[in-house]
Amino acid sequence: MSYISQYQYYENGGNAPEDANWGSYQYVSLQDIVVNYELMYSGNHSLINNEERYKILFHAKRAIQELNYDAFKEIKVLQLTVSEELRFILPSDYVNWVRISYYKDGVIRPMVENIQVNSARAYLQANDARILFDQNGNAIQPQYSPLDFARITGQQPSIYLNSLSPYNGFLGYEYEGCWYFDFAVGARFGLNTETANANPTFRIDKKAGVINFDSTMANESCILEYVSDGMENGDDTQITVNKLFEEYVYAYISYQILGSKLGVQEYIVNRARKSKSALLRNAKIRLSNIHPGRLLMNLRGRDKWIK
Amino acid sequence: MINDIRNTVLAVLNKNNYGYISPQDFNLYAQQAQMDLFEDYFYAYNYQVNKENQRTSGTGYADIKKGYVEVIDFFSVTKPLIPIGPNYTQYNLPSLATTGSDYYLINKIVINNTLVTSGTTTGTLGGQNKIVDSNANFTSSGVQVGDIVFVVNLIPFFVTVTNIDSNTQLNVTPSVINNFPLDYQIYKGSTIKEVERVEQSKITLLNMSPLTAPSSMFPAYTSEGNVATLYPTPTLGTVVTCQYIRYPKVPKWTYVDLGNDNEPVFDQSQPDYQDFELFPDDATDLTMKILQYAGVSIREASVVQYAGAKEAAEINSEK
Repeated sequence: MSYISQYQYYENGGNAPEDANWGSYQYVSLQDIVVNYELMYSGNHSLINNEERYKILFHAKRAIQELNYDAFKEIKVLQLTVSEELRFILPSDYVNWVRISYYKDGVIRPMVENIQVNSARAYLQANDARILFDQNGNAIQPQYSPLDFARITGQQPSIYLNSLSPYNGFLGYEYEGCWYFDFAVGARFGLNTETANANPTFRIDKKAGVINFDSTMANESCILEYVSDGMENGDDTQITVNKLFEEYVYAYISYQILGSKLGVQEYIVNRARKSKSALLRNAKIRLSNIHPGRLLMNLRGRDKWIK
Repeated sequence: MINDIRNTVLAVLNKNNYGYISPQDFNLYAQQAQMDLFEDYFYAYNYQVNKENQRTSGTGYADIKKGYVEVIDFFSVTKPLIPIGPNYTQYNLPSLATTGSDYYLINKIVINNTLVTSGTTTGTLGGQNKIVDSNANFTSSGVQVGDIVFVVNLIPFFVTVTNIDSNTQLNVTPSVINNFPLDYQIYKGSTIKEVERVEQSKITLLNMSPLTAPSSMFPAYTSEGNVATLYPTPTLGTVVTCQYIRYPKVPKWTYVDLGNDNEPVFDQSQPDYQDFELFPDDATDLTMKILQYAGVSIREASVVQYAGAKEAAEINSEK
C-alpha cells in the first residue's frame, strides 16, 4: 500500500466512509506482505525459490490467523439483544470468546460461564422410553429438550446466587446473635465463590453456534467480546497485520516453506524456526506496550489500604 | 549482419570446393540456427544463475547474467489480451493474429480493473504520442501520470500517461497513434494485480480452499491450447495485459537477381527482408550453426566436425 496524503488519511479524499484510513498506518496489508516476501525472500539467490505464490499466500494467511488467536489482542465487540429463546447467535467471524457481559441501566456487568449444562438435544420417546423415528429412519426431535424448555420458560433453578436461585429473596432472622434461614434442607454454611454471582449466566454451544443464557437474559442487551482469525470474511483486500508483526510473518512463511521442502538441511530449517520464535517474542513484547506511564499507573495502586 | 554471415558461410564452404548452398537453404538453416541460439539464451541464463549461487560469478563487467537478461528482454513484448466472448473469463494468449507475435514464454499476466475514464479520440497530433479527445475532461476524471491507456485498434495496445497536457489532451509513452477515432480506456496505474499461472492439476483444489482460492487481489489463470482462463472472472471492463517473450523474427536473406558471376546479389530493400535479431556477438555462433547444417546437407563430415568443435570451444570460453 502506498503512502497517502493527509487529506486521504483524515477524510478519505472526500469519499465515504470518512474513517476508512484512520489508524491504517499501524497495519500492513496482505498484498504488501506477499509482494514484499516474493521480492525480498524468494528468488534465484534466496533460500526459497520456485515457490508458487499461492503457497506464500497460504502461509501468510495462516500466520495472520495464528497471531489473531492470541498475540494480537485485537478484540472485536458485538452488542445484540438476546432473543426470547435465550440465544445469541455467534458472529460469522467468531473463533473464540474473551468476555460476555450484559448491559443494563448503563452498566456493563460481566457474566460468568455456567458450570452446569443448560442446553441439550432430545428425541421423542414412547411410554416405554423407546425412541420414535420418522419414515426416513431419523429420530424425531422435539423443538426443545426438557432442559431447554425449563430454561426458556424460567422454570430452571440456578445454582448461582441470582434471581433464579431457589433461595433468592429468602429472608433470614437473627436469634441470640445467630442468623437462621428457612431453607428446606440444612442451612447455608459458607459461600461457594464459584457460583456466588448475581448476574445471569451463559454457556456456549460451539457446534450449534449459539450462546445459551438463563431466562433472566430474555430481551436483555448482551455484549460479546471475541477474537476472530483476521480473515475478514474472505476479503483479501481487508486483511491486515500490525507492523510490529510484519517481520514475524515473513519468518513464519520462510519456516513453513523450508520445513516442508525436500532436501533442505535441518540446520537451515532450525535457523528459520529460531528466527520465527524470536521474532514472535519480540513482537509480543513490543505489543504489550510496557512503558513508564503504564507502570506508574499500576504502581499508584500500591499505597491503597486493603481492609 | 545476415549478409556478413552468409558470406562467411559461403567462404568456408567454398574452400576446397566443399560445396554451395542456395539462398533458400541458407534461409532455412539461418532460421534453425537462430532458434537454437535463442533457446540457448535461457539455458545459459540459468547456468549463470547457478554460477552466481555457487559464488563463481562476478559483478560489474563480470556479470555475464546481465548480458543474457538484456538479450532476452530485447524480445519482450507487453500487449493486452483479447477476451473470448462477452464474459471476460477467457482470453486469447499472444499470437500473430491477436498481439502481433507468437509467444515463446509468457512471463507474466497482469490485470487492471480500476477504470478511470474512457472515450474516443477525436484527433491526432504530429508527435503521434498524444491522446486527443475534445469531449473529455481528463483532469476532473482523475487521470494521473502513470495511468494506463488501453487503445482499441486493429491489434489493441496500451500506453502510459506521461503528462496531462490539458483537459482534452494527454501525452503518452511513444506509440504510433496516427489515426482516429480510436476507442480508449484509462486505468489506474497503481492498482495493477499480477495473475499467477496455476497448473491444471491444482486449480480445482485451489478453488476449494478458502485460504488459497484466487481472489481479485490474488488472481490466477490456467492455460489450455491458446486460451487463458482467469480466476475469478474479472469484472466487466478489466484490461488483461501479458508480458511475454516472443519468437525472433524469421531471418531472410533477400536478393534481386543473378549478378555478373551468376551469383544472387544481396538486396535488403526487399519487403520480406529480415536480418537476424540476435546480437552481433552471436554472429560467430550463428555462422558455426549454419555451417553444421550446411555440412550435413552437402554430406561433408569435416565441415560438421569443424563447426561443431568451434562452437563447443566458443561455448566453453563463455562459461
